[in-house]
Amino acid sequence: MTSLIDLPSGMSLVDLPSEAPVVEPDVTMRSLSEEVSNRVLRPGAPLWWWIGFGFSFLLLLVLFVQLGWLFVNGIGSWGVNIPVAWGLAIAEYVWWIALASGGTIVSALFFLTRSPWRSATNRIAETMLLSAAPCAGLMPIMHLGRQGLFYWLFPYSTVMGVWPQVRSPLWWDFICLICYILMSIMYYYAGLLPDLATVRDLARSRFKQILYGILALGWRGSTRHWRNQQTVYAIMSAIMAPMVISVHSVVGLDYAGGLTTGWHSTQFPPYFFFGAVISGTALIVMLTILVRWGYGLQDVITGYHLNALAKVVLVGSVMLGYAYVWEAFGPIYGSDVAEKTEFLHRMFGFTAPAFWSEKILTVVIPQLLWLPVVRRSQPLLFVISGGIIVGMWLERYMFTTASLEHNYMPSWWGYYYPTLWDWAALAGTIGLFLTLFFLALRLVPIVSMAEVREIIEKEKSK
Amino acid sequence: MSEPFGIIGVFETPEGIKDAARHLRALGFRAVEAYTPYPVEGLGELIQPGRKTALPLLMFVAAVIGAAWGYFIQYWDEAIDYPLNVGGRPHNSWPAFVVSSFEFMLLVTIAAGLFLLLAACRLPRLYHPIFNVVEFERASVDRFVLCVEARDPSFEPHVIRRVLERFGAERVREVSA
Repeated sequence: MTSLIDLPSGMSLVDLPSEAPVVEPDVTMRSLSEEVSNRVLRPGAPLWWWIGFGFSFLLLLVLFVQLGWLFVNGIGSWGVNIPVAWGLAIAEYVWWIALASGGTIVSALFFLTRSPWRSATNRIAETMLLSAAPCAGLMPIMHLGRQGLFYWLFPYSTVMGVWPQVRSPLWWDFICLICYILMSIMYYYAGLLPDLATVRDLARSRFKQILYGILALGWRGSTRHWRNQQTVYAIMSAIMAPMVISVHSVVGLDYAGGLTTGWHSTQFPPYFFFGAVISGTALIVMLTILVRWGYGLQDVITGYHLNALAKVVLVGSVMLGYAYVWEAFGPIYGSDVAEKTEFLHRMFGFTAPAFWSEKILTVVIPQLLWLPVVRRSQPLLFVISGGIIVGMWLERYMFTTASLEHNYMPSWWGYYYPTLWDWAALAGTIGLFLTLFFLALRLVPIVSMAEVREIIEKEKSK
Repeated sequence: MSEPFGIIGVFETPEGIKDAARHLRALGFRAVEAYTPYPVEGLGELIQPGRKTALPLLMFVAAVIGAAWGYFIQYWDEAIDYPLNVGGRPHNSWPAFVVSSFEFMLLVTIAAGLFLLLAACRLPRLYHPIFNVVEFERASVDRFVLCVEARDPSFEPHVIRRVLERFGAERVREVSA
């Protein structure tokens, strides 16, 4: 087993040199293609896959039980009440969609900047996005009192002749989420097509040859194919990057549009997006470390990649810290008593533990990433990233419930206590996410081979 | 024997296939196609020089249609089919329609991009004569395959074989139609 801490001697406190290899020099186009495709093509799965998948599937069963209970008994089985009508489900919706957004940020934004480290990690990022997006979508649907009628949100004239109220940020959000998921699937596929062809050509069993033959649609990698694919993929990336910013900003508008203390603020759209940058990238760091270790891809996904991802997390953390300053400045400098009372409630009241631990986990501890030695240590990266994801969950929970607990009317103040079924919904969606991700590990090549081949050639000529 | 589909040469390096492609074009061959494991820079320009793609323009048209379509759905809903007074705002309150129109525009553009990409590549096409040679399987892994097709008016098997071999093709093979 290779050491988890790659610390070349004498380089402990300096950053990676700019000429550091993105991919280890002993990787060839053939070894790359076989290594990555074999994970999909070999008949049995490794033991760690079965353990991980089994665990995820158990959690998924929790989701099914929770859904059954919810459909029969209604959302009263959760801790939501009046005044706190938005509980964990909505907070976790924001949390999941932020995690998903990270996939697009890493994949599309850094495609546009032509960052070489994007190529080996973008498939992991996008797979994470497609696994997290359904969890996000499920949350508001579960939160509806009558889940079976969620299709009323679609803008078509129903049999009653009623339309959705399209001036509401909640409806914009629905449109954003639907468009985002559909677009992400198409973007994923446009990038996956050449790799599916590789898997098709390396497959030896008849079933897999036919399966990947159909999925690859007959991709041949001719100059005409490449030229079209490159053109369209670049434009798609240029669309996906602003798209993801708009999606998460509109999630922020869900809150900003409400006349509630602590929510009604113009800073919410960018504030939410900053949270997406840090939490999404943190999850990618965790998954990348695990996939790299589990699939033995240490020579394709190197310290270079993790170093770059860690820097993105650090930038996200600094941006988030900036947003927190303004979050505090508004109510304290402003003259609105209710805003000030609510903010004090956040800081020192019922939600104070969440408020402070969240700040420490997402802003204070990630500052360690300034040190190259921390960026190069995988256990530390893993722990810091995990802390960020927990911290972001606490943040979403804190500002969703705290504002409703201390709204304008003191006679309306109340508290929110999650019930067992609230936690079951959280555990269940984590199960759904992990199940989808584990299945994807067995079905799609987890590294974008076509793009890494280009990098291998470039490094050869260096 | 029936007419072959063409003759392929298998190259180990991108430079090799570029040299051969340049030379074949200089000799007047036009029905040349290259199959590569990744987009080789400059190869497309050698094989189909000056070829412009209309895809960006078509995607832009799709964006305009998508924006108009998205806006129209909301306009029809709120101003014509089911006028609803929300907070005294005009029925056609365009600022509130902008967000969804924007998202819908992007969705239509990306969808158009994917389907136009497939159309421009003439995909899905599960069978192609080039799949008949076993060497092609490595064109998606680590080899660069150059094919001169028989529909070229100056198709001359032995000339092509010689050129391909001279430029260092590992293997030269005839592809049956």
